[in-house]
Amino acid sequence: MRPKLKKIKLSSWFFKGFLWFYAFISLYPLVWMVLYSFKNNDEIFVSNPYGLPKVFRFENYINAWSQYNVPKYFMNSLIVATATVVITITLAMMFSYATSRMRWKGRNFVRTYVALGMFIPVQAVLIPVTRMVQTLGLSGSHWALIIPYTAFNLSFSTLVFYGFFVGLPIELEEAACIDGANIFQTFFKVIVPTVTPAIATLSIFTFLNAWNEFILANVLVLDQNLKTLPLGILFFQGQFTTDWGAMGATMVIASIPTVFVYTLFSNQVEKAITVGGAVKG
Amino acid sequence: MKKFFGNKLAILVFTLPTLIIFSLMVFYPITQVFYKSLFKWNGLGSGSFIAFDNFLRLFDDKLFFLSNKNGFIFAAIITVFQLLMATVLAIAVSTLKMKGRNFFRIAYFIPVVLSVTVVCQLWLSIYNSDYGLLNRFFETIGLDYRQNWLADRKHAIYAIAIVNAWQWMGYQFALILAGIKSIPTSFYEAAQIDGATPVQAHMKITMPLLKETYKFCLLISVTGGIKAFTEMFIMTSGGPGTSSYTLTYMMYSSAFRSNEFGYGLAAAAILVLECLMAILVINFVFKSEPTVGGE
Repeated sequence: MRPKLKKIKLSSWFFKGFLWFYAFISLYPLVWMVLYSFKNNDEIFVSNPYGLPKVFRFENYINAWSQYNVPKYFMNSLIVATATVVITITLAMMFSYATSRMRWKGRNFVRTYVALGMFIPVQAVLIPVTRMVQTLGLSGSHWALIIPYTAFNLSFSTLVFYGFFVGLPIELEEAACIDGANIFQTFFKVIVPTVTPAIATLSIFTFLNAWNEFILANVLVLDQNLKTLPLGILFFQGQFTTDWGAMGATMVIASIPTVFVYTLFSNQVEKAITVGGAVKG
Repeated sequence: MKKFFGNKLAILVFTLPTLIIFSLMVFYPITQVFYKSLFKWNGLGSGSFIAFDNFLRLFDDKLFFLSNKNGFIFAAIITVFQLLMATVLAIAVSTLKMKGRNFFRIAYFIPVVLSVTVVCQLWLSIYNSDYGLLNRFFETIGLDYRQNWLADRKHAIYAIAIVNAWQWMGYQFALILAGIKSIPTSFYEAAQIDGATPVQAHMKITMPLLKETYKFCLLISVTGGIKAFTEMFIMTSGGPGTSSYTLTYMMYSSAFRSNEFGYGLAAAAILVLECLMAILVINFVFKSEPTVGGE
């Protein structure tokens, strides 16, 4: 797959230098963050702003974890992101199956209708969505985030699954039908397993989206006990000069899951976004 | 088979949940944006119909123009920075024979997977006027260039845009890199036989073939600029004063701070229209243009 451009060489020193230079710009702020999560205020401000901490102060992490509600935020994020992934993927698969392979009037209309969600910015519908969440009585539970997150991830997921389903050979269903399976059995036992790569990719994609989402959460969650990590971090905003170390620790804790998921599945994550590119363009 | 694929119950079970959730949370709200923007509405009751008064007021509001201007600056900065960097870096990574290409890929992409609040909080500490990394850096290299980066009315928006540009560069980088990988190597070999330098080869081959990719990158960053909100919300609260307001911020503060929901929704309606305009214009430009650089 990867082109081997043996014969074409760039003025390579310049480009290599540039690669390293940008890698530094991209990573150093993060490294700095990790380092100051291990320092005390004196080291951060005065004696040692750049370098490795003299003593690794793990107590910053212990403080963040025990004093600043971080476990609560972490659990909330985990619950919301996981539920969003499971529900989005399940619904999107069922929907795309019905619109791609089953025969009924209006399926193209219905498919386009949901796909149009791609063009609707979350920012624009912030106010009505807030009202809707209140009207449906979802506020005060995790559903206040899970349902809107699912709604906004559905358009993209249905498009991707549609692309996968449409290309499957009809023999899959024919064989299952002859074996006496009904459509539900066929769907879950025969069709779903054929798209596991797409499921994996979309799960990662949706998880990252939901874990990091801020704009909706900011207006939909008022209860301190339901706040997700992106909201929890803002807690430090008013008072961060007092305890930068703990703030750094909280930020590192909030970033670990997504960075971990990304480094484990980097190819898949990038595939997910390039699929997004093909679909959106 | 016909009966199998025409199973009405299955169709309902498969499509209804998606249709209900989507209609309730996306479609109905977007119709409300346009409908309620015609009302004077404080969020309680149903408000009173005032036709286009909200829009007229908007077009008379200095803040509206400032918000649009900021959106434009924001979009311009992130577009130029991201497309330029992403192109150069993607070409370099895909062309250079060196170990650790994966390291660069991951290094550039990692900011993308971070929460935007983490990134903003981090850059708040970088920009901090007393202890921030940036001012410390200028101090260390002996330049007297101390600034209160986010407190300057004129330049706060640039400082904020840089944060977004920094975080999302990797996204465009990955898109362009994936595009380059999809181009057959033989194209470049042929170009080389014809005596093209690598830079020429990329100008004549990579760029035109990645037209769709570039279109998408442009769409993302232009609409990203129009929609900008979180960075201002966290880093400057739209300030100093109102100097880093954007359309979304205007909508947010009208509705959630001064309880003028109708007015906020008018701003939201304009936001949607601007995004659609951007999509149409970009699609049009990329369609009408004859194959870029090709003969």
